[in-house]
Amino acid sequence: MEIVVCVKQVVDTEAEKKLLAPDWRLDRQSVENVLNPYDEYAVEEAVRLKEAHGGEVTVLCMGPEDAQSAVRKALAMGADRALMVTDPALAGSDTQGTALALSGALAGLTYDLVILGIMSTDAQTGQLPSALGDILDLPVLTALNMMKFEDGSLTVHRQTDQGYVAYGCGLPAVCSVVKGINEPRYPSLKGIMGAKKKPLETKDLAELGVDTARVGGAGALTKVLSTTAPPPRKAGQKIEDDGTAAQRIVEFLAGEKII
Amino acid sequence: MSDTRSGLLVVAEEKNGKLSNVTLESLTAARELVSGLGGPLSVALTSGSSVDALVQQAAAYGAERAYVAVHPELEVFRSGPYTDAAMAAIEAASPRVVLFANTASGKDVASRCARRAGVGLLGDATRLYIEDGGLRVSHPCFGGTLIVEKQALAEPALVTVRTNVFDRTESPATIQVQELSLDFTPSGLLARVVEVVVEDAGMASLEEATIIVSGGRGLGGPENFAMIHELADALGAAVGASRAAVDAGWKPHQYQVGQTGKTVSPKLYVACGISGAIQHKAGMQTSDYIVAINKDPEAPIFGFADLGVVGDVFQVVPALTAEIKKRAAAG
Repeated sequence: MEIVVCVKQVVDTEAEKKLLAPDWRLDRQSVENVLNPYDEYAVEEAVRLKEAHGGEVTVLCMGPEDAQSAVRKALAMGADRALMVTDPALAGSDTQGTALALSGALAGLTYDLVILGIMSTDAQTGQLPSALGDILDLPVLTALNMMKFEDGSLTVHRQTDQGYVAYGCGLPAVCSVVKGINEPRYPSLKGIMGAKKKPLETKDLAELGVDTARVGGAGALTKVLSTTAPPPRKAGQKIEDDGTAAQRIVEFLAGEKII
Repeated sequence: MSDTRSGLLVVAEEKNGKLSNVTLESLTAARELVSGLGGPLSVALTSGSSVDALVQQAAAYGAERAYVAVHPELEVFRSGPYTDAAMAAIEAASPRVVLFANTASGKDVASRCARRAGVGLLGDATRLYIEDGGLRVSHPCFGGTLIVEKQALAEPALVTVRTNVFDRTESPATIQVQELSLDFTPSGLLARVVEVVVEDAGMASLEEATIIVSGGRGLGGPENFAMIHELADALGAAVGASRAAVDAGWKPHQYQVGQTGKTVSPKLYVACGISGAIQHKAGMQTSDYIVAINKDPEAPIFGFADLGVVGDVFQVVPALTAEIKKRAAAG
């Protein structure tokens, strides 16, 4: 089974983030960047499916050149090769532009299955997997917490508040996975060393035949008008429990008419 | 931009035979928007069998037109057929603005509709208003540390709306029903529903909850979540968990609040044994009130809790449950 995993490099979830004027893009320079935590589950699931059913896993990443470190991590986890889509025209792309660029890259790859993380931890839109699936005109299965491949067909569980919905689907398909579908492996030293030798190709939009007018800030279909930092939430009262804390919480809640 | 576009369409979500809270909240917010946009308030309803109850409920919340997709293929959510149904409603209603739910299914469908309509998608809106005759939305970024104001550059403007942010109030209207003719995209039908499984019927939606009681590393082990559930039951609250508690395997991921879990905006958030690291704060700092109980006086959560209790969760939480029950019994 040939699998493509789409990954993104994001700002570390523990870092304070800020947007920079004039076009309100995320400051990625002053903070540590990592493989999007949700993508680790996608990479792990892809590598497990490959280990069980054969084939190869290709990592597909749109981003600047320094996103290579996120790609190398995916390779260290067991993916076989990588394609990076890097082009200055992509800066400021919205989800639709990103989906278009990735679909252009996928047109040159062989795949039975495309797996993505449910969302990125920075933009948190969760819009990409279904937009991409729509362009590719493939079945789309999002928010999965179980994937199994048997007799040429996928069985997946889509997480709901109270349980799951089980779907069956042939290949090819586009899937997004949630945290908890698996336990992503830590890359071994051997994996990290081996990742440096795995093929990593970089292409720009011209090489992929993607129209630059439809991506990046120029192709974006929404516009940021302003950003404001609301005053940080302030500390209220802080009390030491002297045996009466429970009563004092109740008094507070009653005073604010919450109970 | 089409000059003939008018009004606003809410693409509804159904839950247990009723419109979901976020749909009712969207209808309530939309009533004010249509007075600025001009045109009718419409609702798109999808069902495998009958939408009669949903039509009545939508009318009670002010919908004037219902675009109805009823087909056996729509019995259970599937990305493709649900997108086809929503697109049919958008084409029939020709609205200026379309509101979807910012849920897993709502985002899935909204993103595909944006792709098909060739327009942008404004995600996770927590404020909707009209300026210069057009829609503006705000949404919190990075867990509420920044508020971003946006507009769509083409119509229809597609928006997903966060749950539990807008009020729900009725305002009955007379509703006209139009059935949609559906032409399903073949690729979407390739995904087949095998079964719908309910594992935890008592699990309340964290996004919809008015009160959330969450437990973290300070609980020391999964068995101690029992006291979190007891407090939650006494308060009529949903139960949440920190990343530390989920990563330790004490609770499944559905319970996680934070940057790699759910983003919630309840009226009250009670954090028990949670330090309040940035990644947790990002998921809950838009709560109206935060009460924190933690034994570490230096825990970051005390920097933004409205009421912080430095104390032992094993003492304070059961005592609080008893106090709440006592108060309820006293009426």
